[in-house]
Amino acid sequence: MADRTLPIPGSLDATRLRDAALLEWLHSWVVTVDHKKLGILYVLYAVFFLLVAGTEAMCIRIQLVVPNNHFLSPELFNEFFTMHGTTMVFLVGMTIIFGIGNYLVPLMIGARDMAFPRLNAFSFWLSASGGLFLYFSFIGGFGLYGMGSAPDITWWAYAPLTEKPFTPGHNTDYWALSLIVMGFGTLGAAINTIATAFSMRCKGMTLMRMPLFVWLMVVTSGLTLITITPLTAAQIMLVIDRYLGAHFFDAQAGGAPIVWMHFFWIFGHPEVYVLILPAFGIASEVIPVFSRKAIFGYPAMVAASVGIAFVSTTVWAHHMFTVGMTSVGNTFFVLSTMMVGIPTGIKIFNWIATMWGGKIRFATPMLFCTAFLFQFLCAGLTGIMLGVAPWNWQLHNSYFVIAHFHYTLTGSFLFCIFAAFYYWYPKVTGRMLSEKLGKWHFWLFFIGFHLTFDTMHFVGMLGMPRSIYTYEADRGWSTLNFWISMGGLIQAIAVLIFAWNLIRSYLDGKEAGNDPWDAWTLEWSVPSPPPAYNFADDPVVRSRRPLWDLKHPDDPDWKYEQ
Amino acid sequence: MAETIDRETEHAQDRRIQLPAPTAWPIVLAFGCTLAAAGLVTSAGFSILGGVLMFAGCVGWIRQVLPHEQHEAVPVTARAVTIASRRALVERIRLGPEHRAHFPVETYPVTSGIKGGIAGGFAMIVPALTYGLIKQHSIWYPVNLLGGAGVAVWTNSTPAQIATFHWTWLLIAILIHSVTCVLIGLLYGAMLPMLPRHPVVLGGILAPVLWTGILHSFMGVINPILADHIDWGWFLVSQVVYGVTAGIVVSRQERIPTSQSLPFIERLGIEAPGLMDSRPDAGPPRNKEER
Repeated sequence: MADRTLPIPGSLDATRLRDAALLEWLHSWVVTVDHKKLGILYVLYAVFFLLVAGTEAMCIRIQLVVPNNHFLSPELFNEFFTMHGTTMVFLVGMTIIFGIGNYLVPLMIGARDMAFPRLNAFSFWLSASGGLFLYFSFIGGFGLYGMGSAPDITWWAYAPLTEKPFTPGHNTDYWALSLIVMGFGTLGAAINTIATAFSMRCKGMTLMRMPLFVWLMVVTSGLTLITITPLTAAQIMLVIDRYLGAHFFDAQAGGAPIVWMHFFWIFGHPEVYVLILPAFGIASEVIPVFSRKAIFGYPAMVAASVGIAFVSTTVWAHHMFTVGMTSVGNTFFVLSTMMVGIPTGIKIFNWIATMWGGKIRFATPMLFCTAFLFQFLCAGLTGIMLGVAPWNWQLHNSYFVIAHFHYTLTGSFLFCIFAAFYYWYPKVTGRMLSEKLGKWHFWLFFIGFHLTFDTMHFVGMLGMPRSIYTYEADRGWSTLNFWISMGGLIQAIAVLIFAWNLIRSYLDGKEAGNDPWDAWTLEWSVPSPPPAYNFADDPVVRSRRPLWDLKHPDDPDWKYEQ
Repeated sequence: MAETIDRETEHAQDRRIQLPAPTAWPIVLAFGCTLAAAGLVTSAGFSILGGVLMFAGCVGWIRQVLPHEQHEAVPVTARAVTIASRRALVERIRLGPEHRAHFPVETYPVTSGIKGGIAGGFAMIVPALTYGLIKQHSIWYPVNLLGGAGVAVWTNSTPAQIATFHWTWLLIAILIHSVTCVLIGLLYGAMLPMLPRHPVVLGGILAPVLWTGILHSFMGVINPILADHIDWGWFLVSQVVYGVTAGIVVSRQERIPTSQSLPFIERLGIEAPGLMDSRPDAGPPRNKEER
């Protein structure tokens, strides 16, 4: 120690040392198998693509802000709305839920890491490289119109448009191949989550004491295994069609485009639940803490989650009412769609019952969760409307469907994701996010969201079809489209405030301590950010709220829980 | 909570925890897989490079875990944590009868709703026909409005045509009116246990106002032609007459006990000695007389 030579600041040696430290730091992230670092990588990757997909959405809205606009070319417009949908579902939604799950599941169940740490790293890098591969399509080929070869076949990629004679370039191939790669990454993450929750729980944490977020991640992962596999199978069939001349989806050669629709929606509808169930988990953690009450009806919440997952696998063809199914088929899928309302209703009532009589604190996470409750209810109601076949025949492929879908994925999923950011950011970084900026973020996003998507219902009912490049001025859609785009702009400003809050608070935020929200699950018992090993000693729990038991030794939960 | 802080620091001295060692092979394998796929849209060279990386990734990964999984020892560092609540006051809800939903001990039978529906159906004919006479100078106007709307054949009918007598429309109107009155009565009867105290208020005011409001909102979408011909003020009056009559008929019926006050096992219909009376022909005698 005494012989150590210290470099003079600003000298060549100091620069080298700094560079070496930076390289070492970067290397530590690339080779990491730590679930927390991988979780952060997942989330950062998703936030980056959220900004990318948001930019694409804004370009789409600028194109549609006035009639007969030519801000984008028709070809680029097709690429943008395809990439917006694909990015939001696969690169933002899927990655962010597994990112948050990766970070939290081991901490919440008192484990040191995921069950398969190397598989965890492999899953992330597979998803990440698949996403980069997808976006490489913008520059990876000249394409048919000099716009690169980005997919332009919509995110549901209906056959026969995707067949070689109708899409001769590589646009479809980029879509199918990159999603196959990402699909395997997602499968790995799902297997890992299930294995971790079932085999790595700390002493005393029975299944019925697991935090609801963990339960929801388990259910989501199971649903992922069920749904990603048919999508991957269909995409491999599509690639075989395009490269080896098979005709799975080519009607002229004896194939069936309808088969693609079935394959896609067997994946596509449960996929909505794959995204929304972890959001339910987030709400189930945030609402009790900010209502200062234990979750109401824990066993019913678990049963409802499993019930939703089960029913969600039986409803896919309600996306296909206009295809022309039999009356029996229509009736079955109408009834099964209605059934989703039962477990979902149980959840909504239980969240409200949790808030009922509680000492509610409207901090930013709770604001987002409260708005989620209302918006998810609206999304459910329009879902029920679209689940009725005759109504669906009228509004299928209209902006009403887009409005319903975005009420689910923006108004419900994204609101809960924002709640999760404000709630767990202090745990991840050791710093509090600014409440003032958080409130600005919430209210602007809330106003922008309603301006955009409430209005979208009406323009849909007035007959505006989805995915159209532009429209004539005499259709009566101009004013509504103007306000939809203005709402988009307000949401974009809100997201920029959020991004600024993330950066500013990381550099200059208030110190969080280990338990800033006075919460009850195990992750709040370790320092913020948690050490590499999570827990110095294996924790032991006796109830669903282990920290409550520690904080209130005279009045622990285990005395009351059954 | 002090206990927890101690636990963190106590183990900090020279203690190390074995964690899975960092490794680059997963990323190598992942990029290999992606490049192998990318070769299909770029050039075969990418696929070959991807294949090489996949092979290297697999070999490296296997060597990481076989014969023994590689670990790194991470020293436990002392970091204080505080597990305490700023809220000392804990309020537990004392469970009592007031926290249970109150189910009625007695209610009206469902059949009383059907009876009320039938009576109301007859009663509402009076304001409907009065409306026809006063406003349209024909008692057939409201009848045809209902019957014609039911078969949807009078798309371009004039008020004069609607005011004349049609056998078919009369029969259809009677059918629609009878079925609807009975079904609404049935629904009313089924709802009575939920709101058992004021059947006249529920049936006579609340339900007609809600029902008229809903129909007024939606009729323009469901049947715009019918919506143009309905006089909503008179419509509300006839609904109120229906509801009040039905309510009065129901309130005159005899209430019956609900099963809510019975033990669960009794509601299941299971014969459980001690909880319910035994059948006279089964079990041991219960009292001196039976002996």
